[in-house]
Amino acid sequence: MKRYDALQRIAKLVKAEDLVVTSVGTIKNEWYSLAPGDGTFFLSLMGGVVPFAFGLAVALPHRRVLAFDTDGGCLMNPGALCTMANELPPNLTILVFDNRMYEGVGTHPTHTSRNVDLERLAAGAGIPVTATARDPDAVTRHVSAMLADNQVGFVNLRIEPGVFTDFPKDRIKLSDGVEDKYKFIRHIERQENISIKPPYLNE
Amino acid sequence: MEARLAGLVLQGLKQARVQVMASLPDSLLRGVYNAAMQDKQIRYIPVTNEAEGAAVAAGSWAGGKRAVLIMENSGLRVACEALARIGLVNTLPVVMLMGYRGDVGERVHWGVNHGLTMEPLLNALRIPYIMIEREEDIVPRIVRGVVHGANTHYHVAIIFRRPLVGEGV
Repeated sequence: MKRYDALQRIAKLVKAEDLVVTSVGTIKNEWYSLAPGDGTFFLSLMGGVVPFAFGLAVALPHRRVLAFDTDGGCLMNPGALCTMANELPPNLTILVFDNRMYEGVGTHPTHTSRNVDLERLAAGAGIPVTATARDPDAVTRHVSAMLADNQVGFVNLRIEPGVFTDFPKDRIKLSDGVEDKYKFIRHIERQENISIKPPYLNE
Repeated sequence: MEARLAGLVLQGLKQARVQVMASLPDSLLRGVYNAAMQDKQIRYIPVTNEAEGAAVAAGSWAGGKRAVLIMENSGLRVACEALARIGLVNTLPVVMLMGYRGDVGERVHWGVNHGLTMEPLLNALRIPYIMIEREEDIVPRIVRGVVHGANTHYHVAIIFRRPLVGEGV
């Protein structure tokens, strides 16, 4: 299973009102091609995807939030899994795309290429619902269950290396981080009827 | 920081409409952590390191709830990469509350280095900061700091000095 195969399955489960936080790297382009709406925050911070998504889940507890992390990102801050186990955000689902390497910078192996098992790490931290998915049908099965169970969940998606790039022209991500931020918060403002970044603060 | 002053810190945060506090505790602001843990209006979230706390706070801002990160000023060093990415790439704010460990007159040898690096790091990351050393400044300066973060969508540091913070441990 390639990452794009898994993302295609996940895109079918994500609703318009759901929010997604993605990790660095080419996953951004793949996910944007499948879900070009404004409900995704493209975070360029390894180790930050899960805590950022958690902050979002705290701010908007009535919405489902999905964190798309990587093995390298998850290994950079495994303490975040411990925080999730203590806080138990019911509206957060963590999906880690585990290709066992730092693919974008030259395929150097991560620790999951040897003895480290991220699902066991998450379960050991105390996350109540965990799974490992090795094929697209398992992705659909585990992710759909975790999105519906009102508990924090963790899925380790064991994927093969490979980057999908054959996108239609209108599905190529061109925006930078600032534009991404504004698209996202304006999306929240419209949907929630709130003001996150007004042009002038009246206080 | 004694409980009465810690109460003023929470009063300032509430006046600034802060609803979330990510925390990695230290001794200088001990009273604030204790008060926040008991508070019903502010969601107190212990984290495992300060970079994680910065990401939690930024995520909360992105979702429309004002948040702060409270920590020792040595935590700024841990959080630098997160602050750079969040602030300079995505322009989301992390409003930080810190005690000034390593201020002139520091009594513990291990704390001096925290003071030596704090202001240079804040300046390197172009983070504006405001110092508080008088009781009557606690509420208004916290409000000013949070409002600045909300207006600029960039980080702000609110730094508490002696005599407000005492000596810690």
